[in-house]
Parts: sequence; structure tokens; C-alpha cells
Amino acid sequence: MDWLFFGEISLAGLAMGGLYALIALGFVIIYKATRVINFAIGEIMMFAAYLFLAFAGGMELSPWIALPLAVIGGSILGGVIEKTMIRPMLGESPISVVMVTIGIGSILVGLVEFIWTADPQLLPSFLPREPVFIGPLYLAPKIAYGFLIGSALLIIYLLYFRFSRGGVALRATASDQAAAYSMGINVRRVFNMAWVFGSLAASLAGVLVAATGGLSPQFGIIGLSVLVVVIVGGLDSILGALVAGVFIGWLETVAGAYLGGEYRMPATFLVLAVILVIRPYGLFGTHEIERV
Amino acid sequence: MFRNILKKGRRLAGLGSLVAALTMAAPVMAQDKEPVVFGGSIPLSGVFAFAGIHIHAGLTDYTNWINSQGGINGHPVEYVMEDTAYEVDRSVAAFKKISGSSSPATYYGDSTGFMKAIASELNSQGNTLMSGASFATALTDNEQYPYQFIPGPNYSQMFGIILEYIATQGEGGDMPTVAFVYSDTEFGKDPIENGKARAGELGIDVVEEIVTKPGSVDVSAEVLKLRRVRPDYVVFHGYVLSPINEFMVQMRQMGLDTQFMGTFWSSDKLIIDKMGADADGYMGVMPYNYYDSEESGPMLDALRAQAEKSDPEAGYRPTGYMQGWFNAMVWTEVVKRTLDAGKELTGDNMAESLASIEDWDTGGIIGIPVTVRNMSFPVGRIWRVNAEEGRYEPVSDWIHLD
Repeated sequence: MDWLFFGEISLAGLAMGGLYALIALGFVIIYKATRVINFAIGEIMMFAAYLFLAFAGGMELSPWIALPLAVIGGSILGGVIEKTMIRPMLGESPISVVMVTIGIGSILVGLVEFIWTADPQLLPSFLPREPVFIGPLYLAPKIAYGFLIGSALLIIYLLYFRFSRGGVALRATASDQAAAYSMGINVRRVFNMAWVFGSLAASLAGVLVAATGGLSPQFGIIGLSVLVVVIVGGLDSILGALVAGVFIGWLETVAGAYLGGEYRMPATFLVLAVILVIRPYGLFGTHEIERV
Repeated sequence: MFRNILKKGRRLAGLGSLVAALTMAAPVMAQDKEPVVFGGSIPLSGVFAFAGIHIHAGLTDYTNWINSQGGINGHPVEYVMEDTAYEVDRSVAAFKKISGSSSPATYYGDSTGFMKAIASELNSQGNTLMSGASFATALTDNEQYPYQFIPGPNYSQMFGIILEYIATQGEGGDMPTVAFVYSDTEFGKDPIENGKARAGELGIDVVEEIVTKPGSVDVSAEVLKLRRVRPDYVVFHGYVLSPINEFMVQMRQMGLDTQFMGTFWSSDKLIIDKMGADADGYMGVMPYNYYDSEESGPMLDALRAQAEKSDPEAGYRPTGYMQGWFNAMVWTEVVKRTLDAGKELTGDNMAESLASIEDWDTGGIIGIPVTVRNMSFPVGRIWRVNAEEGRYEPVSDWIHLD
């Protein structure tokens, strides 16, 4: 076995997994606080990537100004969606809310086709292009720097949720909405905050992934493929999103390299099937027990 | 005042005579020459809209042009289409609607999936000839698809043309090596087996096959695989843009001097517009002259003039436009040959007319006379990106497969 090749493949997979973890985090934050499975997460990623294209490509701003603007734009979009379309659905059946998120996804696809046309796009190059070597192992620069930027946001998030008042409010709401409400936490504001933070993580991931793999109105499909990560890790577990994201990224890449690209998806779905049988609530998800 | 009334009266009388003359003449013209209908399931929205809008423009402009030339043997041409969003069920519904209301002689299909799905109905109706966006090898099976043809080489033939070019590029008696990179789709897999067989016949070693999942995010692992085998050429198929750019950039970052080639849908100017300097040296097989090439000819000049007339602001017209125009050109030729032979416009008669096309001068759309083989036009040329000039330039002669 060529261990150098295996090491390089693994490194590429782990780095890609870091980006999957970031998208999964966007999913989990929203679900954990609001119990809404946001099927529009991929389209929010796409919209932020198009915003980056508009700022850096169309308006020719520096990519390092365009990046935060696009990410903030994506998070504002998340907040607006929650306030105008999800909040009125409070108390409705979960299926209805899921259908609303699917509808939002379609609207966003139509919107970007209307504004930016359906042409495939490449984002202006903004990450260093020099090859990255970790010891003797080569890593594609876009993946390496994308992983670093994504990791920085992950660390900020973890610190925020652990130590800030907003983070504590969000965790309290996630664990017991009624108790959080009775303790004076503004639960509606927490819901909105969860959508803003979740969309922010997804937006950053959107720009980083589009910088690597290109952009088109169908880009949002990536959000659905990350659903596997979220289910494997546990829908309401931030740790699960991180671990499963990195693991699925690695598995997909190694399966693609050794078995062929057509085995990437079957390999991840095989893991999903096994996890669903052994731990239906995911590796780190909450095992809810209903007592009749 | 009286004079004014008289003047107005004369004018009204003149107008009335004109209207009366037109009203009487119109039915006579319509009765004389029934319109020939070109139908189309066109992807003006959805995943293929980037090409669909240009295909539609090409078909529309050709229809206007041919009508300005007196139609086909005096028959006016009508182009009737529906947007399909590149969805097979909507394409089928559009076909049923248009074939029910307008009886099209020819029809543009927007995808291989649709053209396969509609085959049995097309065969049972037997009065429409179909071509479209697909260059699928399977559609050149005359037994199964007798009324469908490919407006250029099929994907296997495109690989054949690419491999013939590669075979001529060996130095010092060494045959170059090649790797195939394709998407895990029906479209992507289409020419691979035939391509490998053809490479074997030419003595070209296929050193690696890479399959990427559709919408692949990262291809760095695949690039690492290619670095191990260091192919002289990588041939892409089943993509429009991404991940071709990532393969090219990452392989060059690794210091490989591999050359990169692609088939029809990945050889548009989009590659240059989006990749910029990184696209330099990329090569594609193209059966038609590019809109901005230095080639000319009566039909190519007419195409450029019509394109300029219909939208002076549009500038360069993509390969989808050329493809739409060429489809309609072939339909016209087929209908004309069928009418000239005094036959009805049935599927059998039109397929027979298509098969009779030999050494056909396309007026510069294709650079050499073309002959139909198995319901396709197996001809093409290798073009290379000159990024500084922002266009493709020919690097081979026209290659016509037997």
C-alpha cells in the first residue's frame, strides 16, 4: 500500500469534511433551537455565494471585503426568512414547516436565475494558489485555506455558545423551551438568532465550497447531501455535526479514490443505513423517550 | 374643408382597397403553401437554460432567415416551442401539445432522456423527424430510433476525433498516454467504452479513468490519482465547466504538463470567460465553426448577419446558438429533399432524405462537405483556447470519420 498516497487522500478528505461540518453546523443550530429541519440551507449557501460573486466580481470589491459582506447578507436572509415565513408557522405540523423551507429553496433558485442567469459561474480567485505541503503530504490550497477559515468560525461559535449570554439563552431554549420562557428568555428572539447564526455558518461554507467546486443555481443540492452528515451525527448535536462532517468527508474521498467516484455516495449511504439501525437518533443525538 | 374631406376619403378608399386586396390574397397564399412547422421542447429555464436560451435564439433566427429567403420551396416555416425547464415529463407534455395542435415535421428534443422517452410515440406517429441537444451514441441506433438523428458527431465519434488527433501528437515514436475524466451520469458514461476500444485500436494507453459524482465539491483526491500516472492528455466528458477548471489548475500547480481536452458541451467560450488565463491551452472538439472564428462562407455569413440583425447588442453567439441554427438547417435540407422528390413529409421519407445527404456543403458552418453516417454527421475539428485573444483557434484539420 502506498501510504503517502493514502495520507494525501486522507488529508484532502478531512479538510473537505471540515467544510461539511460547517454546513452541518448551520443545519443543527437551527434544528436544535427551533426543531425545524431547514431544507433551504443549501439554497441559503448558494445565495451567499452569489452575493460574493456580485460583490467581488460585479462590483469588483476586494474579496476580503466581499466575503464578510456575503456572509452577513446570507445570515440576514436567514433572519428574514425566519421572521416572515417560519414564525407564522409556529404551532403548525412539522411537515408543513418543512414544506415551507422546501418552497423557500425553490424561490431562492428562481431568484438567482432571474438575477444572475442560469449560467455556471466561477468565483473570483481569492485564496492563495501556492501548493500546501504538510510534511511530505500535498494538500490543494483552496481546500487547505477553506478548512482554516471554516475552522476559525467553528471555534468562534463554540466559544460563543459556551460563554456568551446569547449562547446560553440558545442552549437553554434548545433544552427546554417552556422553562427558558418562564425564566424570562425571549424565545422568539432566540429562534431568530438561531436562523441568523445557522445561516451565517452555511453562508461561509457556501462561499468556500463554491470557490472550490464552482457555482450554479443547482448548487443547493450540496445542502441535501450534508443531510447524511447531520443524521449520522445526530440532528441536535453540534459535536455530532463536527465529528460526522469530518468522518463523512474522509470516507467519501477515500472511497472515491480507491473504489471509484461512483462509490462515493453508496459508501456514505451505507454508513447512514448502519447508523440508523444501530442508533436511530445519530451518534451523538438526543435519545428522546416518549412515555405514554 | 370640402377638399379635406375629399382627401381623407381618398386615403380611406386607398387603405380600404389595400385591406381588401390583402384579405382576398391571404387565404389564396395560405391555401397554396401550408407552413412547415419546426417544433421544440426548449429548456429556457432550469439546469440547461444557459444553453437553451441560445439554442432558442439560433432556431428563431434561422426560421426568420429562411422565411426571408422565401421559406422551403415556398412553404413558410413556423417555429413552435414550449419551455420545459429541462424536465423530461414537461418535454413530453410539450411534444404532445405541439404535435397535437401543429403537426410539426421536425422537432427539437432538449435531452437524451426525453428523446429516448418519446421514441416509441415518435415511431408510432411516424410523421416527425427529431434531433436536438443530445449527441448520445445510443440515438444513432437506427432500429430503435429510426426518426432521430444527431446534428454532429455522437459522443463516441467525438472521442474518436479527439483520439485521432492525440495519436498524431506522439514524439519520437512514443504514443501519448490519456486519462478519461467523466461524470457519474448517463451523459458522462456515454462514450467511455467505445473510447477505450478506439484508443486500443490506435495504440493509445488509457492510463486512468476518473468518475466524479455530479455536483462534485472537491476533486483534489482525483487530481492526486492523476499525478501518479502523469497522463499526456486528459479528456473530460459530461461537464460544462466545473470541475474542469479545478483539474487544470491543480494539475498545473503540481507541475504536470498534461494537456486537457473536452467534448461539445464543455468546449464553449464559457470556459474562457469564466477561467480567464487558466483556460489557456484547453482544447475541444467542435463540429461547427465558432461564431468568432476567422472562417467564412455564405451560410456562416448569413448566420452572423441574422444574429446581428436580431440582437445587435448580443455580440458573440455561443455554440448552443450554432447548434440550434445547424439543426434547423438540416431540417430544411431534409424537408426540401423530400418535397423535391414529390414525397409526403413522413418520418420514413424524411429519414430517407437525411440518409441521402452526401458531401453536403453547409456554407461554412462546417468547414468541409459532410456526409451522413448512421443518422449523424461524424465530423469535427480540434480547437485550442488562446486566452489572450479570448477565443478558440483551430489546431487540426477537419476530421471526417468513415
